[in-house]
Amino acid sequence: MNERADRESMLELVALYALGVLPDARADGAECAEQVRAFIASDAEARREYDDLRAAADAIALTAEEPVDSRRALRMRERLLARVRADAATPVTPFRARRPAVFPAVMWGSALVAAAAILFSVITVSQDVALRGQLAAAQRRASSLQTQLGQSERVGSQDRRMLTDLLSPEAKRYDVAQGTVVVHGDRVYLVLAKLAAPPRGHVYQAWTATKGSSAMAPSVTFAPNAEGVAIVALPVDAAKVGTVAVSVEPDGGSKAPTTTPTFVRPLS
Amino acid sequence: MDRGVRLMERIQARDTAAFEALYDDYHRLVFGIGLRMLGDAALAEDVTQGVFLKIWTSPGAFRGGSFAAWVSRVTRNRALDLLRSRAARPEAEIPADLPLDASLDDDVFARIDAERVRDALAALPPEQRSLIELGFFGGVTHQELAARTDTPLGTVKTRIRSGLRRLRDALGERVSR
Repeated sequence: MNERADRESMLELVALYALGVLPDARADGAECAEQVRAFIASDAEARREYDDLRAAADAIALTAEEPVDSRRALRMRERLLARVRADAATPVTPFRARRPAVFPAVMWGSALVAAAAILFSVITVSQDVALRGQLAAAQRRASSLQTQLGQSERVGSQDRRMLTDLLSPEAKRYDVAQGTVVVHGDRVYLVLAKLAAPPRGHVYQAWTATKGSSAMAPSVTFAPNAEGVAIVALPVDAAKVGTVAVSVEPDGGSKAPTTTPTFVRPLS
Repeated sequence: MDRGVRLMERIQARDTAAFEALYDDYHRLVFGIGLRMLGDAALAEDVTQGVFLKIWTSPGAFRGGSFAAWVSRVTRNRALDLLRSRAARPEAEIPADLPLDASLDDDVFARIDAERVRDALAALPPEQRSLIELGFFGGVTHQELAARTDTPLGTVKTRIRSGLRRLRDALGERVSR
């Protein structure tokens, strides 16, 4: 077989590889994906051929799309989302995301919701000096819960930091109708309760304005849990934020508010 | 940037609303691929569940490009695993490591709809189309294709290459290099 025939033969293998029908590796030296990868890596024409043919092969998948029986679709959706929502209480992303505009840390795990309930009670109780005893009790319960949560494997360091921030006596709290905006250190949280479920195809979206500015910048989107609770860490530097707002927006979020804000709260 | 890519960015930040939107957009494709490959709705449901859980737990596995193309490959690989678990098969590999440069680039891919691809496939000579579809959805190697269709191995290779080239040309969205 001459060199040109060898080359054509290899290019045929590139097509097989693009379609996904070549075995990965073969001990007997037979044609396999391993040798095609080496060929593609060393030959520009083979690379172009691969790029073209793989894109065409990928497109074949689109022909498989078809409607799913509605009951099956609903069952799959509910089962999957139940798992995801339960898992959402243990975020894996670092607290400071590299892309702050898309860093929602919505947590509705039972632990954090319990902490939020305690936080609400602390806030409420602290408004009445006659109830200082209850405040102390609530703080002791919070401390106890924090200790328990700290021992739990399911509560990561980010959750613990959030709990510490939310329950800290040094935290600044700014009331809104649906809950509280909490600022501790350079971190800002929304602790909201009794939020109505957003309309289908919509989510809540947070907005922030820097100090001295009225221009609202889009922040994270989120949805409350079944009890209407949402605890959201905003990816901002608290020292630079002058105002926080929340509005209902179409799913995926907006670049500017499209509805009347649920609240607008200056942090002062 | 297509909508799937934008949603994946948010999912990486644990945005469950984005995950719901992604599921609503792509579950029919994922389920459909599983059903075509496995021929069993219950197994296709398992594949769908597995693919989307994987997306949620390991969103970093998506490194950009066309989300539809990526999720299709993930689904095929998962369905292949199931096929292999049901019968001993040589492991055909769906390439996932080598990113596309740009011929049918990401934006162009996003504009290709299923109807157009069906038309392009239907226009292929039957002997090319059947090999390509069986190879794509059947989870078989080129040697199995030859055996199943009683076609010489060399002919299988030539037909697949010619068929994919025709398909590429029919989709017609070549990007100048």
